[in-house]
Amino acid sequence: MKSSLKNMVLVLFTITAIAALLVGLVNDMTKEAIAQSRLDAKNAAKFSVLSTTATEASVARDTTRTIGDFAVTVSTVVRNDDGSTVGYAVEAPSITKSGYADRIILMVGFIEKEGEAIINNIEVLSQKETPGLGANMTKEGNSLISSVAGKQAKILKFSVAKEGGSFDALTGSTISSRAYANAVETAYAGYLWATGRLDMSSEAVAAAPTGASMPTDESNEWEPEAQEGDMTNE
Amino acid sequence: MSRLQIITKGILKENPTFVLILGMCPTLGVTSSAINGMGMGIATMAVLILSNIVISMIKNFIPDKVRIPAFIVVIASFVTIIEMLMQAYVPSLYASLGVFIPLIVVNCIILGRAEAFASKNGVFDSALDGLGIGLGFTLSLTIVGMVREALGAGSIFGFSFAEGVMPLLFILAPGGFLVLGYLMVLFNKIAKR
Repeated sequence: MKSSLKNMVLVLFTITAIAALLVGLVNDMTKEAIAQSRLDAKNAAKFSVLSTTATEASVARDTTRTIGDFAVTVSTVVRNDDGSTVGYAVEAPSITKSGYADRIILMVGFIEKEGEAIINNIEVLSQKETPGLGANMTKEGNSLISSVAGKQAKILKFSVAKEGGSFDALTGSTISSRAYANAVETAYAGYLWATGRLDMSSEAVAAAPTGASMPTDESNEWEPEAQEGDMTNE
Repeated sequence: MSRLQIITKGILKENPTFVLILGMCPTLGVTSSAINGMGMGIATMAVLILSNIVISMIKNFIPDKVRIPAFIVVIASFVTIIEMLMQAYVPSLYASLGVFIPLIVVNCIILGRAEAFASKNGVFDSALDGLGIGLGFTLSLTIVGMVREALGAGSIFGFSFAEGVMPLLFILAPGGFLVLGYLMVLFNKIAKR
């Protein structure tokens, strides 16, 4: 078709208007379904990280703590038949360390054995790492999970093995692995807080260094007071 | 050109990766494993067929001078709508192909075929062209991904045959260029015969 100012303006306007209308319409239509499918995935992870299913157990209580922009949610999962606690599923982001592209959000399952929290399993809820490298953290049985699963959380050092930590990094993905370890650490702190073992009152949080009220990799101390001056930027 | 030829030329004579050298950005980005390459290829093929159909339908209403912006708007809206629908109604498919969808918006294969083929041919032929080029792209990406995964991670489609001894370089970007370059030479040598 020959171009004239009139038909160019008219056609481009029409196409963009139709496109905008369609995209808006579909967005409206799918908004709820997308939110629902995210929620479903998250809820399924709450049970799978504790090696149970939605028919066997249910979430008794969700407690959420927001730290700055971050939310840590601790779900207490109980067995349906006798009401005993299966464990705690904690949704936590990496706080002090980001992955290659974005923060990593994990669901970490803690099971208590003889009063000690043991990491049962970990699922990745959200990550944007490199496919084939950092994104391998979503695979089952990867080195990060297998290096900490079944171990007591309190003896873990939350950094990668070459920095003296307990996590065997994914091949070629030290940065992603560090963020992963940090998210597990955040989850552990969230678990301690939800079970009343960590002082996270507003005074204690206010006294903690800004940016995070969780201990950094270098410190294995859980009292927020012990973190002063402990923040390092890497 | 017969209809069958329209399909086969996309795989051999006008192979988008090895001959037309189009879509290099997603090619290098996602071919770190065979399954990723295949996923990207299939997602691109779906969008390519649909966008070719739409472009060939509306080609007569678009003034020549604004055809490229018009094509881009059509393709980008298309990809966005597909992404939202997939995320909402087939979350399992989205979980495996979702990361590739935003990359398709800026994929020059789609725009290239809209410009070179769909804007000059009928609806049915354009759909076939999308299918052919899409198959060629999927095949090339799978091959590149297979070679990189085999050399760099010691596995093919996730099935491991060698542990921990492979040069990681091939998974990283430099290895991507190396593998792509050598495969391009090989492909053109074989295809020329």
